Amino acid sequence: MVTLKLIVVGDSGVGKSSLLLRFTDDMFEPYLNPTIGVDFKVKKMVVDGNLVQLAIWDTAGQERFRTLTPSYYRGAQGVILVYDVTRKDTFAKLITWLNELEMYATRSNSVRMLVGNKIDKPDREVNKREGLQFARKHSMLFIETSAKTRDGVQCAFEEVVRKILQTPGLWDKDTQKCGVQLETAAHSEEDFCGGYCTLT
Amino acid sequence: MAADSEPESDVFEITDFTTASEWERFISKVEEVLNDWKLIGISSGKPLEKGVYTTGTWEEKSDKISFADFRFSITHHYLVQEASDKDGKEELVEDALPLSMQDLLCMNNDFPPRAHCLVRWYGLREFVIIAPASNHDAILSESKCNLLLSSISIALGNTGCQIPLFVQIHPKWRRMYVGECQGPGVRTDFEMVHLRKVPNQYTHLSGLLDIFKSKIGCPLTPLPPVSIAIRLTYILQDWQQYFWPQQPPDIDALVGGEVGGLEFGKLPFGACEDPISELHLATTWPHLTEGILVDNDVYSDLDPIQAPQWSVRVRKADNPQCLLGDFLTEFFKLCRRKESTDEILGRSTFEEDGKESADITHALSKLTEPAPVPIHRLSVTNMVHSAKKKIRKHRGVDESPLNNEVLSTILSFLFPDAAEKLTDGSETRPTTSRNNPPPESEEYNLYSQFKSAPSDSLTYKLALCLCMINFYHGGVKGVAHLWQEFVVEMRSRWEKNCLIPGLASGAPDLRCCLLHQKLQMLNCCIERKKARDEGKKAYTPDRSPSASSGDTGKAIDHSVGDYQKETEKEKGEVGKSWESWSDSEEEFFECLSDTEELKGNEQENGKKGGTKEGSKESANLKPEGRLHPHGKLTLLHPGEPLYIPITQEPAPMTEDLLEEQSEVLAKLGTSAEGAHLRARMQSACLLSDMESFKAANPGCCLEDFVRWYSPRDYIEEEVLDEKGNTVLKGELSARMKIPSNMWVEAWETAKPIPARRQRRLFDDTREAEKVLHYLAVQKPADLARHLLPCVIHAAVLKVKEEESLEDIPSVKKIIKQIISHSSKVLRFPNPEDKKLEEIIAHIMSAEATIARARSLKAKFGIDKCDQEEEKEDLERFVNCLVEQPEVSVIGAGRGAAGRIIHKLFVNAQTMTESSDEVAAMTTLDEEPKRSGSSDERRLNLGAVADFPPPAGRELILRTTVPRPAPYSKPLPQRMYSVITKEDFQLAGAFSADTTFF
Ligand SMILES: Nc1nc2c(ncn2[C@@H]2O[C@H](COP(=O)(O)OP(=O)(O)OP(=O)(O)O)[C@@H](O)[C@H]2O)c(=O)[nH]1
Ligand SMILES: [Mg+2]
Repeated sequence: MVTLKLIVVGDSGVGKSSLLLRFTDDMFEPYLNPTIGVDFKVKKMVVDGNLVQLAIWDTAGQERFRTLTPSYYRGAQGVILVYDVTRKDTFAKLITWLNELEMYATRSNSVRMLVGNKIDKPDREVNKREGLQFARKHSMLFIETSAKTRDGVQCAFEEVVRKILQTPGLWDKDTQKCGVQLETAAHSEEDFCGGYCTLT
Repeated sequence: MAADSEPESDVFEITDFTTASEWERFISKVEEVLNDWKLIGISSGKPLEKGVYTTGTWEEKSDKISFADFRFSITHHYLVQEASDKDGKEELVEDALPLSMQDLLCMNNDFPPRAHCLVRWYGLREFVIIAPASNHDAILSESKCNLLLSSISIALGNTGCQIPLFVQIHPKWRRMYVGECQGPGVRTDFEMVHLRKVPNQYTHLSGLLDIFKSKIGCPLTPLPPVSIAIRLTYILQDWQQYFWPQQPPDIDALVGGEVGGLEFGKLPFGACEDPISELHLATTWPHLTEGILVDNDVYSDLDPIQAPQWSVRVRKADNPQCLLGDFLTEFFKLCRRKESTDEILGRSTFEEDGKESADITHALSKLTEPAPVPIHRLSVTNMVHSAKKKIRKHRGVDESPLNNEVLSTILSFLFPDAAEKLTDGSETRPTTSRNNPPPESEEYNLYSQFKSAPSDSLTYKLALCLCMINFYHGGVKGVAHLWQEFVVEMRSRWEKNCLIPGLASGAPDLRCCLLHQKLQMLNCCIERKKARDEGKKAYTPDRSPSASSGDTGKAIDHSVGDYQKETEKEKGEVGKSWESWSDSEEEFFECLSDTEELKGNEQENGKKGGTKEGSKESANLKPEGRLHPHGKLTLLHPGEPLYIPITQEPAPMTEDLLEEQSEVLAKLGTSAEGAHLRARMQSACLLSDMESFKAANPGCCLEDFVRWYSPRDYIEEEVLDEKGNTVLKGELSARMKIPSNMWVEAWETAKPIPARRQRRLFDDTREAEKVLHYLAVQKPADLARHLLPCVIHAAVLKVKEEESLEDIPSVKKIIKQIISHSSKVLRFPNPEDKKLEEIIAHIMSAEATIARARSLKAKFGIDKCDQEEEKEDLERFVNCLVEQPEVSVIGAGRGAAGRIIHKLFVNAQTMTESSDEVAAMTTLDEEPKRSGSSDERRLNLGAVADFPPPAGRELILRTTVPRPAPYSKPLPQRMYSVITKEDFQLAGAFSADTTFF
């Protein structure tokens, strides 16, 4: 079994904890406690035949708790960045989150997904195209969800996991050989006789 | 191993090769492989372009087959070609010659610089070799050889494969191959002669021509013309007069200063020995016809100066000793030392020499004396070999603690503030040294990729110093010693409230190595302690940056009123002086004591005096700890301005602490209780902020707090009141109102206490002690691991800097790869040694390449060249030599480079001829004198004195004649010969018509 670490970030109230609750317990509670510091959930799932255990860190969006959260980026193979489609300001703040991610993520090739949440609500302020564009610009996966109606939630997590499993060196301890192998500086001289150089 | 005449003694012997079934099985296995690899049928391809054998890619495919129980490997070697339009061509070339036969005559790839010997001999673009699978086996007897030859002949015939098939016979090192190629009605036999002694008639062109003609046995007269290609190779080994230009480090000149590139905070660079060992000059006559020039046993026209083509290759010294590489390697070796600092230093070192050690321990205080330790700047005088000797002497042999002078120089380098500090009492900002890349540049930010530390930081400098000490000043003992001193200094800074220089302020930067974070953490502690200790002057708010002075004043103003109450309450302790608190009992108090508060108020009172009293928990409690008003917001009930309180900063954390904490949090599990507990554990900061808020805003309610703290959780709506006016009505968000809400819970427990009287969220005393303990227990090996990223970081910057002076594309590429590779490896905790070694090896190879370029530049006298254009040409030529296996010399012996090479050879010749008259050697500036006198040495009759005898003499003879009968089809014939000092090889490919003979 593969254990993967995911972290969920985004502004306060965008629905991070709700998404997670929907994903892990298939529930929606209209009134969840605002997260204090970080919360933690686990969930097993099967993706493309691989049994995967997810350890998911749910962080507080609240500014004052944020000093703690950067450390949770460490070692995370997947980062889920959430905004609220009914609140433009949460979309505008995305870049701040990305910067923080850039700064603290230890894996240069971690998988990132952008999630636009609360699409069930009528008062949309950010349309899908904007989300898509942002995701493309920053090489992220993109999906819109509703924790309330469960739209896209399962799919979002599955996609992230799938992408992680497909990224070489990201999840298997043994294959952490880090992709690129440097060319060996010395070519093997053995099979080649270069003029006299092998004789002199 | 087996000499020519040695009787066979191999495993091979016990195999009965005559068993028909084994033989057939073998043949069919060969056929099967040829089939599998799709080598069957008409071979097709484009005519070979000039030089593709060098520029193109060669690949090979291998399989195992066996003859009875003797195992062979079968290998297909081929030049990767663009897919040719095979199908269209096929019919056209139905009975054309197999490609390989055509290749025999192609002159576009004669004498390739690097190639398989069969390519060199026969000019083939592809071929298959069957060779014993084990390097120890060999086919020795003629009968077995013939049996194998017949097998491949049958396999080729059965399959219609047109690719030459070879069998390797005799021990592998002799490179003996026999083979065959078949085409429609034609066959080429590949055969070889390999001799230890060169028969006299083979040493010159005319003798070889005779052999070639007799081998062909062509019945025609006159014989069609034979085309001839000749290459003579000369080796230059003697560079003596050109001293390797690396400035040798003068280690005895001690510390500091730029001594031969040795300076603390810098890494040295360059080779200590010549990284170029030989120059091979190939002089080529690519296309001669018989009779154009004479080369026989008494006379030769083959004068290398006159050869139409020159090309050069250099032989690199294997693993030349290079300084940067040595530094890295030795530092990396530290990682494997097991001993602790104490074990290494041995308590006795300091006990025995008590006086000395006292001096050392306080070396830093010396810096404050008016005359700092002089920094030596000595000129470089010594020669390379002496430097090398010294390096050896200093390395490893005498591991010792540092001497005083070295130590104080290093400490003053690491702590530049120490000298100034005590004189003017103010702290100096760490000055960025002029050698550092500017902040925000890509180079500067390398530290976040490498997880090292900024190049102007204390950590980085420490890494470089340790690296230097490890190499030159006492090895691991020196390292342990400096570290001990460093830890002592850290503790004294903590005790003296003296900030550590060279560290960015603020919480530990998680992008840096753990050691750097620890030092930053210590600095945080010092800063807090200092602020606290200075609290007697004025309370410095934690969130000071945003606080305008007016606000701060106000905050103090308001707090003054508590004085009397406090005095009464704390009476018992008032007698204690501030100093005694901070000095002796500091470790025990967990919160900012009320005494401190009192002290602060006392001072205020001195100026303003203050009276007032209030009862706790009531709305008319005097506000405390205000930072500034929050915009225009007012409290919901009393309607007073809403103040943002002074708050405690959350505790700074290093990554190991965070790791620990997240482990604890994760262990709570995912149950509701777990989650609740988790939230509670993390709510200290929330609670503290609530208390500060309550203190600053007497009479406030949770709604007020939320409006400041999480404004989105306070929802305002316009509603109509009873009178029909629209008014703003606000309420907490639903999630804030649920009964189990932690915020509500916390709000109820929160007492109005200003930040400065709260229990400290961050216990700097404890954290500082933890850091200091951590530092103290680090072994030299731990240190090396912590700091290796910094050292690699510095090494990469060094290589980059040196490369920029030489501009070598291949090194640029290596650097890029090293950076991307390192940033992948170093970001992980505990990278594998193997990967680290790989990185170091690549840095070393980049260093060696740069050193080679420099050596060649010196040898070719590029700096002395005053003609701009010529200089550029030479530079380009030299860079090519570094990067390419073989470089042709424009203008051959007459070009700029050619003339220099000529002189180099002439000088070397003069040296060997009159080795005792060294003084008389020709310098580069003199014209080489051509000695016309005849010399007896038969191998270079032309240019007697200028060149040594050729180390190699290669010849290719080619023609197209009918064989075996005059009316047979005219077919390609080729013979290659090479003479070196040790041996002589002849490789012939003779084609015959198999239909009309
Ligand atoms: N209509 C609707 N409401 C949602 C959805 N997701 C979350 N909410 C609501 O939005 C509010 C905030 O959700 P949370 O999950 O607590 O938000 P959060 O991102 O975890 O907030 P912090 O913990 O403060 O960072 C809650 O009242 C949820 O009921 C959704 O998909 N649709
Ligand atoms: Mg939450």
